[in-house]
Amino acid sequence: MCDHTNKNIYLPYLATVEEIIDETPDVRTLRLVFQDEKVRDSFNFRAGQFCEYSAFGAGESTFCIASSPTRKGYIECCFRSVGRVTEALRRLEAGETMGVRGPYGNSFPIEDFFGKNLVFVAGGIALPPLRTLIWNCLDLRDKFGEITIVYGARTEADMVYKRELKEWQERNDVRLVKTVDPGGNGSEWDGKVGFVPTVLEETAPLADNTIAFVCGPPIMIKFTLPVLEKLGFSDGKVYTTLENRMKCGLGKCGRCNVGNVYVCKDGPVFTAEQVKRMPMEF
Amino acid sequence: MQKYLSQENFSTLLEKLIASGKRVVAPKLNAGTVLYEPLKNPAEIVIDRMPRRSGKEAFFPICEEIISYGKEGQKVTVTDIDPARFPETVLVGVRPCDAAAIPMLDAVFSWDYRDEFFLERRKKTTVVGMACTEADDACFCTAVGLSPGDPKGGDILLTQVEGGGYLCRAQSEKGEALVAAHAALFSEPDGHKSLPLAEPQTEKIDLQKVKKWLDTNFEHPDWDSIATRCVGCGACAFVCPACHCFDIVDEGTEKSGTRRKNWDACGFWKFTHHASGHNPRDLQPKRYRNRIMHKFKYYDDKFGQRLCTGCGRCIRLCPAGIDIAAIVEDISKK
Ligand SMILES: Cc1cc2nc3c(=O)[nH]c(=O)nc-3n(C[C@H](O)[C@H](O)[C@H](O)COP(=O)(O)OP(=O)(O)OC[C@H]3O[C@@H](n4cnc5c(N)ncnc54)[C@H](O)[C@@H]3O)c2cc1C
Ligand code: FES
Repeated sequence: MCDHTNKNIYLPYLATVEEIIDETPDVRTLRLVFQDEKVRDSFNFRAGQFCEYSAFGAGESTFCIASSPTRKGYIECCFRSVGRVTEALRRLEAGETMGVRGPYGNSFPIEDFFGKNLVFVAGGIALPPLRTLIWNCLDLRDKFGEITIVYGARTEADMVYKRELKEWQERNDVRLVKTVDPGGNGSEWDGKVGFVPTVLEETAPLADNTIAFVCGPPIMIKFTLPVLEKLGFSDGKVYTTLENRMKCGLGKCGRCNVGNVYVCKDGPVFTAEQVKRMPMEF
Repeated sequence: MQKYLSQENFSTLLEKLIASGKRVVAPKLNAGTVLYEPLKNPAEIVIDRMPRRSGKEAFFPICEEIISYGKEGQKVTVTDIDPARFPETVLVGVRPCDAAAIPMLDAVFSWDYRDEFFLERRKKTTVVGMACTEADDACFCTAVGLSPGDPKGGDILLTQVEGGGYLCRAQSEKGEALVAAHAALFSEPDGHKSLPLAEPQTEKIDLQKVKKWLDTNFEHPDWDSIATRCVGCGACAFVCPACHCFDIVDEGTEKSGTRRKNWDACGFWKFTHHASGHNPRDLQPKRYRNRIMHKFKYYDDKFGQRLCTGCGRCIRLCPAGIDIAAIVEDISKK
């Protein structure tokens, strides 16, 4: 899975920004195409993996690969502008070049989910790491049972992938439950109002033969895990991703550890069971 | 196989190595401070003073370019590093505590992904260690299972002898090749008696017990008192022969510049700070705990040994007077 062919492990591939989509005022999706044809063909990844994306002159940032491995020829990243690198990436226009190293880290063991029901729970900007898996599963739709997506954000404007939410809403093989925080609902809001954990509890997906995936801000995860437990999900059936700060992504720079776990190598995908064994350092 | 190398021939050896175009790095005075630096002539070597920083920078520089980039119009080019950057090197006069750290770093830079910046230099470097004849209050190699005459991590070990000169033991192919290439400078060791080696005043610490306590006491009220004095200056990581955390940053403009690996330290507040404002190690004691945990547990969990050689540099330099040897010894008695 790892690409060890580059002698210089820090050498990025060059990629062209093919398309820019503004998800919210400060969250942007970039669709990237590798400039080297060989890389375009050989770049294989699995849902859950991440890359180091760079704006030359500003540096590198860690984001998951937000597109599905079933969609070939490009990758997408989706990021919020919060600092030096993300702001520089935001200044790139279509046709411009950026750097990409990866794919790194482990991934969702999707084959283990065949024949099972899936529940995705995401909050705010944390939809991208699940969106890759959601499309991966939807593109292999007949391999899974029921698919439920619970997605919440502060306001409708804060929701990412709005066009895809619409698509999921219209599909009859997906159950989408979207919600905004109390007070975040505009006059035309057609979803629920309430925090993600509460709405998840109301939605009450059956735990039997079901796997749950949770990504969101630490506070959301903290309150969502007990709800899943109450609904009957055992910790081994709940997956999440950790986002400890990273630099190398290669298990060298010492930045990302939670206890003796290197999130960049052993993660970023973990079960709730694994997370609960870790010291509180994430 | 042990050989004798006279003081004069030692100088000749260094001279020949320098003349052959090799980079000869050894402890040397730089504005009043002894550092491992390239020698211009043999007389520059300083063997009776502990270098301020460790020998790791011969393989893992403080700041190192890892790519360069340039942009013309829309076209961006990225340039890989020229392998000529890594010259054949002989690292001479390395303290056993510094030499012992080199295989510890090998493990980090070669597991799974291979960092050729470190490993190429490693491949091209012959490490000539020098046994210690003097220890100061901060030295504690014997507490962590090493010794002033420990050959670990070196290709050759030199031991000073009475009346001048060195006993020389080659302990790897590289070491033997270096001796063989200059065979005329070496003679039989008979009759030469080594100077007494240093005796650091530290008791051996039961590191198994330390590990056991760390295994189960990530949360423990003692951490607050253990690390409360730490000011988060990062000096300990900077001088440590085994610390290897680094940052990756760009220097330059959008048009041209370089990307670099710079030494970093887990003691810094920003080290783990997230974009959201969340910081998993928000307080200094948590960061100091990570330092101890990494050295005496996490590294051990992964590579089966400790990430500390007892060089004592962090103790000598800590502005807050933190003594890692005392801390670890205390833990062993808990
Ligand atoms: C596995 C993983 C996946 C991620 N996926 C996404 C994603 O899909 N979309 C997204 O928007 N963000 C994601 N992040 C977070 C993202 O990496 C940071 O928001 C980003 O690197 C900040 O970069 P910057 O240079 O613009 O900020 P800087 O100017 O470097 O810093 C701004 C602030 O962000 C903090 N920061 C810097 N780097 C990181 C980092 N790597 N992680 C967390 N905080 C950081 C700084 O301490 C500072 O407070 C992910 C992080 C990880 C580890
Ligand atoms: S990001 Fe460098 S070790 Fe994990």
